[in-house]
Amino acid sequence: MTQANHNQEDTLMATPIDVRSVSKWFGNIVAVNDVSLQVNPGITGLLGPNGAGKTTLLHMIAGLARPSEGEVELVGEPVRDNPQLYHRVGFMSEHEAVYGFLTGREFVELAAQLYGLEPLSPPVDRAIELVGLTDAQSRTLSTYSRGMRQRMRLAASLVHDPEVLLLDEPLNGTDPRQRIEFQNLMRKLASEGRTILISSHILEEVELLAGSILLMVSGKLAASGDFRAIRAKLDERPYKVRIVSSDSRAMAAALVRLDAVDSVSINAEGVVDIMTRNVSDLQRSVPRLAQKQHIRLLRVEPLDESLESVFSYLVER
Amino acid sequence: MLVLLRISVRQLASRSRLILILLLALLPVGLATLVSATLNEDSTSNGEFISTLLDGLLIAGILPIVTMVLATASFGNELEDRTLSYIVLKPVSRWLIVLPKLLASIIVGGLVLIASGIVTTLLGASSLGAVLLVLDGNLQAALAVGLALLAGVVTYAAIFTWAGLVSTRAIAFALVYVFLWEGLISSFLGGVRYLSVRGYTLSILHGLDDKSFEPLGERVIEFPAALVGAAVTTAVFFWLTVRRLRRMDIP
Repeated sequence: MTQANHNQEDTLMATPIDVRSVSKWFGNIVAVNDVSLQVNPGITGLLGPNGAGKTTLLHMIAGLARPSEGEVELVGEPVRDNPQLYHRVGFMSEHEAVYGFLTGREFVELAAQLYGLEPLSPPVDRAIELVGLTDAQSRTLSTYSRGMRQRMRLAASLVHDPEVLLLDEPLNGTDPRQRIEFQNLMRKLASEGRTILISSHILEEVELLAGSILLMVSGKLAASGDFRAIRAKLDERPYKVRIVSSDSRAMAAALVRLDAVDSVSINAEGVVDIMTRNVSDLQRSVPRLAQKQHIRLLRVEPLDESLESVFSYLVER
Repeated sequence: MLVLLRISVRQLASRSRLILILLLALLPVGLATLVSATLNEDSTSNGEFISTLLDGLLIAGILPIVTMVLATASFGNELEDRTLSYIVLKPVSRWLIVLPKLLASIIVGGLVLIASGIVTTLLGASSLGAVLLVLDGNLQAALAVGLALLAGVVTYAAIFTWAGLVSTRAIAFALVYVFLWEGLISSFLGGVRYLSVRGYTLSILHGLDDKSFEPLGERVIEFPAALVGAAVTTAVFFWLTVRRLRRMDIP
C-alpha cells in the first residue's frame, strides 16, 4: 500500500481537527481557557468578537503556538514538532504581510516548492486559477490590492491540495463580489471532503458560509453546533431600546402595557429605556402608541447592537 | 533549501541595508587608501596598520556590525512583519530553515567584508615600507585576511541569527556583546580570547600567515584552538537556533 493510501485511510478514521483541553496563557493573561472541540469535514466557522482568543486557538491548531496545557491533533497526529503533517494541512494567517518583492506566481511557487510539489506548474496554475488571479500572477505582490493579496495568499495555502484548511479572517479586505466567489470556492472545496475551519468576528460572514460554528468569547468556547440553532438563541435575546419623546412619563406608562416590552425604566432626563424580546412587534407598536397618545417621538435607538453584547448574551445563558 | 536561500538573500539584500553595509565596508578601504598615500616607509607602520585598521576597525568593528545588521534581520524581520509562518508551516525540517537563513547572512556579509578586507590589506600592505615588510607577496596576507574574516562572519552570523530569533531587541544585545565582551572585557582578560569571536578571527589570521601578521603574536590563541573555538561556537548557536525555532510561538 502506498503512503498516500495510508494517509487516506488515516484521514478516514481520524478526526480532522481534535483539540483536547487546550489552554494558553501569556503571563497572567489567559487567552484560551480549557477549550475542547472536534471539527469534522465541511465548513466550520470559528466565531467570536475581537480578542476572544480565536487567533490564538487557530495558531495552536496550526502548530504555530504551543498550548500551555492540552493537546492538538490534526488527522490523528500531534501538530507540534511534526513538520511532515503540513503536507496535509494548509493555513492562512490573518496577518496580511507578504514578500512584496515576489510576483504573485513566485509567491505561490515558493509555497509549492516548500511543500515539495513536483512538477511545479500544474498545481500552481490550478491554485492561481481557483482564486481568479491568472491575469495578475506576473505582477509583484506590492502592486496588489488588499483583496488580491488575500486571494493570492489563499492560493498559496491550498496549492498542495490539503485535507485540512485553516483560515484566519480570510475575508478581510475583500469586496462583496470577492466574498461571493470565496464562498463558492469554499463550498466547492468542502464538497470534495475537506475540513475547513474559518475564523471571523462577523456574524453574517460566517452565517453565509458555515453550517456549524464554534463560538468563542473571552477565551472560552461559548457554544458550538448548528448555526441555525445558535442563531435562534440569538434572536430570543432581549434587546435594549432607548426612546426619547415629548412626554416621557406618558410614553413609559403606555409602553408598560405592550406585550413586546419586558421592562421599562425612565431616568431623570426623561429618557426611557425598554427591554424587549420582540423587536419587530415593538417596531410596529411604538409609532401607533405615540400617535394615539399624541406624543411626539424624538428618538428611537437600539442600545446594544454590538457584536460583543450579542456574544456576551450567549455566554451568560 | 535553495529556494529558501534565494528568498533569504533577497530579503536581506534590501537597498537600504546594502547601502549601509557597503558604506561600512568602504570605511577601512578609504582609510587604507589614505594610509598608503601618506605613511612614511617606516617599519613600525606595519604594526600600526595591523592593529589599527585590520584589528581595531575591520575585525573589532566593521565585521561584527555588518554581520549583526544582516543576521539579526534574517529571522528578526520575518518575526516583525509576521511572514515567518509562510516558511515554518511547511513540511521542511527546522534545521533546513535555519541553514539557508544563516547562509544568506554569510553570503551577503561575507562577500562585502572579504572584498573590503582583501582590498584594505593590499592597499595597506603596499604602503608598508619599501621592502614590503608584510609580504613576500601581498596576496598571501590578503588571502589570510579574507579567510579569517570568513571565519568571523560565519561565527558571528550564527550568534546573531540566534539572537534575532530570541529577542526583538537583538541589535541592542549584539551591540552590548560586541563592545562590552569582545571590545572591552577581552582586552583586559586574556582568557576571554578563548571565548571571543574577535580572538578567533585574529588567531586564524595569525595562524594562516604568522610572518605578515607577526605583530598580532602576543594577542592570539593557538591556531587549532581558534579553529575549534569558531567551529564549536557556530555549531552550538546553530543548534540553539534550531531548538528555538522548534519551541517558540510564531506570531
